[in-house]
Amino acid sequence: MDTFILLVRRVSQACGIAAAGLLAAATVVVCQMVVMRYFLGASTVWQTEFVIYAIVASTFIGAPYVLLHKGHVNVDLVPLYVKHRTRLVLALIGSLASLVFCLVVAWFSAEYLHEAWAGGWRTETVWALPLWIPLLSLPIGMSLLSLQYIADILCLITGREAPFGMDPEDAE
Amino acid sequence: MSPLEIGLLIALVTIVLLGTGMSIAFGLGFVALAFLVGFQGIDSLGIMAEKFFGGIASFALVSLPMFILMGAVVASSPAGRDLYIALDRWLHRVPGGLVAANLGACSIFAALSGSSPATCAAIGKMGIPEMRKRGVPADLATGSIAAGGTLGILIPPSITMIVYGVATETSIGRLFLAGVVPGIMLTALFIAWTLFIAWRRGWHFSDVTQNFTWRERLEVLPRVLPLLAIIVGILYVLYGGVATPSEAAGVGAMLCLVLVVVIYRMWHAPQIMQIFRETTRESVMIMMIIAASELFSYMMSSLYVTQAIAETIAALDINRWLLMGLINLFLLVAGMFLPPVAIILMTAPILLPIVTSAGFDPYWFAVILTINMEIGLITPPVGLNLFVINGIAPDVKLPTILKGALPFVLLMVLGMVILSFFPGIATGLPDMLLGPATGH
Repeated sequence: MDTFILLVRRVSQACGIAAAGLLAAATVVVCQMVVMRYFLGASTVWQTEFVIYAIVASTFIGAPYVLLHKGHVNVDLVPLYVKHRTRLVLALIGSLASLVFCLVVAWFSAEYLHEAWAGGWRTETVWALPLWIPLLSLPIGMSLLSLQYIADILCLITGREAPFGMDPEDAE
Repeated sequence: MSPLEIGLLIALVTIVLLGTGMSIAFGLGFVALAFLVGFQGIDSLGIMAEKFFGGIASFALVSLPMFILMGAVVASSPAGRDLYIALDRWLHRVPGGLVAANLGACSIFAALSGSSPATCAAIGKMGIPEMRKRGVPADLATGSIAAGGTLGILIPPSITMIVYGVATETSIGRLFLAGVVPGIMLTALFIAWTLFIAWRRGWHFSDVTQNFTWRERLEVLPRVLPLLAIIVGILYVLYGGVATPSEAAGVGAMLCLVLVVVIYRMWHAPQIMQIFRETTRESVMIMMIIAASELFSYMMSSLYVTQAIAETIAALDINRWLLMGLINLFLLVAGMFLPPVAIILMTAPILLPIVTSAGFDPYWFAVILTINMEIGLITPPVGLNLFVINGIAPDVKLPTILKGALPFVLLMVLGMVILSFFPGIATGLPDMLLGPATGH
């Protein structure tokens, strides 16, 4: 089990690097676009769409990385004031509900991706980018996010990690 | 079940689920999913991937990670410290210049970072010890910075304004401009209050003996002026209609990056990596909430909940100011528990039609809403800024910080009252520079 958890963590970590890379690329392209458009008076074809989809992909691919570092913001008021056992139950409910959501989105986005691929859908711009390329990030991101949730739940059940990262001794 | 009853059930389930401490993004997503399946069957989920994806695939939203990057760059550099030092050296002869320097630095830093906790941390690290060393009481020193930090989401660029603009399809450039004068007004109110209290408690402004030479005053400028130039540049580009917020943000982020590399010599890979790591976390977290709340509001409107709420409230035919008061009360309470971005995304699509049909300006309302969110940042139980201050000034107890921050809550309420009597404070600047708003 440790191997599985470790592997998932490695993958999520790699996702973070990919997401940061996409973000950096988007920043550079925005600047390039501004220079082209306002300083050289040239028209831009692919930049706007590239930037939009780079940010979208960065979000979906980066999601497992953010989960790994407990970065998806929550309201931990109730968990803070309950006993360790209740806390564990709350954490499990929350993680399971999240897992269900991620799996469902992953499933339906895979379907959506398949439609876009089979139908040869393209974006409605001059660039006419095949839509499946940016769409790819959604099922990939949500699947990896589901894996990270499974790893988290395993850690919770086996006591490898305290729920919400709160010290059990802190409980009232 | 009538749409209103469904709405009540949705509210209940959402509160319970988010109460378990699950992530807000996936909590909202799960509620959306559950209610869609429950009321419209499993087939209704076919559109969900498209909604989830489409919710964040917009060029306007690109400005969000870009401004977050800009804020992360500035926050990771000692720019906050320098800003504070510069203002202190230039203002120390002015009575109460120290306090003004702190709160002024807060508002300028807010203009660079767009984030409240970041503003708090950047200015507070240097400002709080310095104020206390020079005799400002601990509660006042910490409270004023906690409150000053909240300006981060009001003074442009502001993350919450971008989110509001996207959620309500209003102009982000205009929203930014609407926040400028109210932000300055609140800063002035904060300064006046802090000075008044310090004076009443017998703190003498003349006690400040430190003197700075012109040399000292001038040497700090080259490190501060370029950043100020970027702020002015961004505002110019926005209101001049030269570029979109996303373009301004991208170039602003790049310029800030270049600046910190040149001025603070932050060219080591680990430092740059750290900046991008933080940006990715913040950006992904917010964008995920946006994508999920797209599903949430789709679910609400396809079950006619949004429409039913708006119709019911319109049918009540209550006084518009009473209505505004109630909305404010609701926002205040919500703001005490949920982060601003989540509140705006969940409520703005419902509230905006109600507010505009009652004859309020959507840009004015954005400012009122943001001030409500600011209050939530310095009130218990989850006032983020209080905890940030507690982190940087660990020897000041949380109740002391809270006591110091509470008067500022009242000042913000006062600010909202002033804005209600003189809405031009918010709408004047955008109207003047961009012409009267159209559309709404």
